[in-house]
Amino acid sequence: MMLQILLAISAILFCIGLLAALTRSNAILVLIGIELMLGAGNLNFIAFWKFSAHPELLTGVMFAIFSIALAAAEAAVGLAIIIQVHRRLRTVNINKADQLKG
Amino acid sequence: MHDLLQYLTSRHWEPAPEWLFLIPALLMLAAGFAAVVLRNLIHCALCLTLSFIALGVLFIALGAEFVGLVQLLVYVGAVSMLIVFAILLTPASEVAASNNPFRSFNLSRALNAAVGGFIVLLVLGGLLAAIAFSPHAQAAVLPTTAATLKPAAIGQNLLTQTLLPLQGAAILLTAALVGAALLAKEEKQS
Amino acid sequence: MNFLENLPLAAKKLVLDLVEAACKWACAKTGITLPDWGLSLILSLVSVLLVIVTIIVVYLVMFALMSVLERKILARMQNRYGPNRVGFFRWRLWGLLQPVADGIKMLTKEDIVPRGADKIVHFLAPIVMVAPALMLPAIIPYGRGMVPIELASGILYFFALGASTELAVFMAGWSSNNKYSVMGAMRAIAQMISYELPLIMSAVVVALVAGSLSPLKIVEAQGGSILNWFVCTPWGFVACLLFYISALAEANRCPFDLPEGESELVAGHLTEYSGFKYAIFFMAEYVGMFAINGMLVTLFLGGFNAPAPFLSFIPSWCWFFGKLAFLAFSMVWVRATLPRFRIDQMLQFAWKFMIPMSFASFLSAAAWCYSGNAALAWALSTVIVGVPYLVLGRFCFTRHHAVDNRRYLYSE
Repeated sequence: MMLQILLAISAILFCIGLLAALTRSNAILVLIGIELMLGAGNLNFIAFWKFSAHPELLTGVMFAIFSIALAAAEAAVGLAIIIQVHRRLRTVNINKADQLKG
Repeated sequence: MHDLLQYLTSRHWEPAPEWLFLIPALLMLAAGFAAVVLRNLIHCALCLTLSFIALGVLFIALGAEFVGLVQLLVYVGAVSMLIVFAILLTPASEVAASNNPFRSFNLSRALNAAVGGFIVLLVLGGLLAAIAFSPHAQAAVLPTTAATLKPAAIGQNLLTQTLLPLQGAAILLTAALVGAALLAKEEKQS
Repeated sequence: MNFLENLPLAAKKLVLDLVEAACKWACAKTGITLPDWGLSLILSLVSVLLVIVTIIVVYLVMFALMSVLERKILARMQNRYGPNRVGFFRWRLWGLLQPVADGIKMLTKEDIVPRGADKIVHFLAPIVMVAPALMLPAIIPYGRGMVPIELASGILYFFALGASTELAVFMAGWSSNNKYSVMGAMRAIAQMISYELPLIMSAVVVALVAGSLSPLKIVEAQGGSILNWFVCTPWGFVACLLFYISALAEANRCPFDLPEGESELVAGHLTEYSGFKYAIFFMAEYVGMFAINGMLVTLFLGGFNAPAPFLSFIPSWCWFFGKLAFLAFSMVWVRATLPRFRIDQMLQFAWKFMIPMSFASFLSAAAWCYSGNAALAWALSTVIVGVPYLVLGRFCFTRHHAVDNRRYLYSE
């Protein structure tokens, strides 16, 4: 029961991140949505670790730690790309980045 | 009296009630929703930071102290700062319009939000159904002893079982560092 | 003497005894029977509250004393008297009641919020600054058996909270709707982020050798005499210096106080704060300084251990606060002596000198741990730390020509 509540909370957080990534037109908000989705995934790992049969194997914990490190690296690179795009196009609206269209 | 002191200064108290983790969980969901919905970008970033802090507290409440503290250190101390700096370095030209609460009703924007919301509700429904009916989620083992996470055990694990992912993460972080610095560098006009 | 040593613990035990007796008397008087866990819940709550109140009171008293003593010591080093008038009735008391006067002044000032400022963020910034600063001293071992909270990953907790300070600085700078505040905030954050790396690496060096992230175990690993303290090893000396310099930078003290450069940016990110909110920022800075000095004492200077076994008649908490006082005095001394860095000098120093040196001290500590005999350990770790220091110091910072043959012009 507790595990299902935790998984439901994580699912709601994932869907909030998905809403940000799908709906907002600012690139930085899309990145915020991605970070929220990654956080929801981490919560899933820790929830399954806590309620697993062998918590001393630390599988979920190691996965969560690596996921946090990778999310930080990906945020750094993503934001560098956004800054470079802003330099070229003077905007971070993803709808305006349509140079390759048509 | 001395053993009462021992009892109080050690950490063998009764385990906290189980529903205690719901408080940071609800705060995290509320802050996450605020981060998605607010108009002012800096407010979104600050609500995101609050959501990360609540997630870190949730990890600590679930017994994974090390992961919670790493989350606070990395996400709140580094990623939030990155996002805030990026917001400051990319000022939108329509900043004045975005602060106006009574924008004109834009059909395309409303349709965008509606379609996005519909897809998200579908995904949420699918996930909740999976959680309700999956055998893995129902076969949860109730922890008999409070699973305490020792940093020494994590260190052992990092250097024995997850050694290869550790080296891979090191290479990836170096590449990300160099790549981000290179990408964000200003080109000199020759 | 065991009595002085256990004085704080005995006082806590006394208060808990009194609370227990009061509970039992109240139960007997009113006839309510408490369940088993009721009494222990009340006692645990009282115990926790007692520790929290003690920490806050001690740190606030230290903050108050420090604010006046810093001015007096700075003044004496500049050949003048500091504040020496505020006293009690007719006695001047060397001006030591100045903090009371300062506090009354700060509390009664008008709280001005700029019109275009973001009210919620402007209000929350001092709170976000001071709350982690007051949570920092919770894991420092103040004496034998006197750790408020014994966390297995205490060092990680300390640095996770230290990283929240930057958020508060940004909130303060941005919400003031003032371009000088934003500039000051960006500089402050750049400085804090750059100097966090040597800070954390120096602490990791100590965790490597002590084998644990718990401050209590680190202090216990330095027991014995002064030669066991980590500062008396090659890697420890370098790591201690790096930690000290990074602590100066994290606490925005001179020579790293560009963010609050009084002569340049008005008050940087604190420009639009007045009255009590400014006092809160001020307090958060000083409490953070004491906490990080406490961590330096724990990591490198042996914590509450006495320098020699025959000196342990002085209680352990006295040794801890004595070392802390010495470090605080040294920070004031540095403030009086050194001029302020420019922002590019500061960032270059962090990224090009301190981070490679912290890696070198890390390798040196690893060599120390895994060398067979003591002579090899000393030689290897000194070489691993000394060669990068000479290389970096000699060849990386002398872009200008070497100074030689100065011509001195004297007025006649």
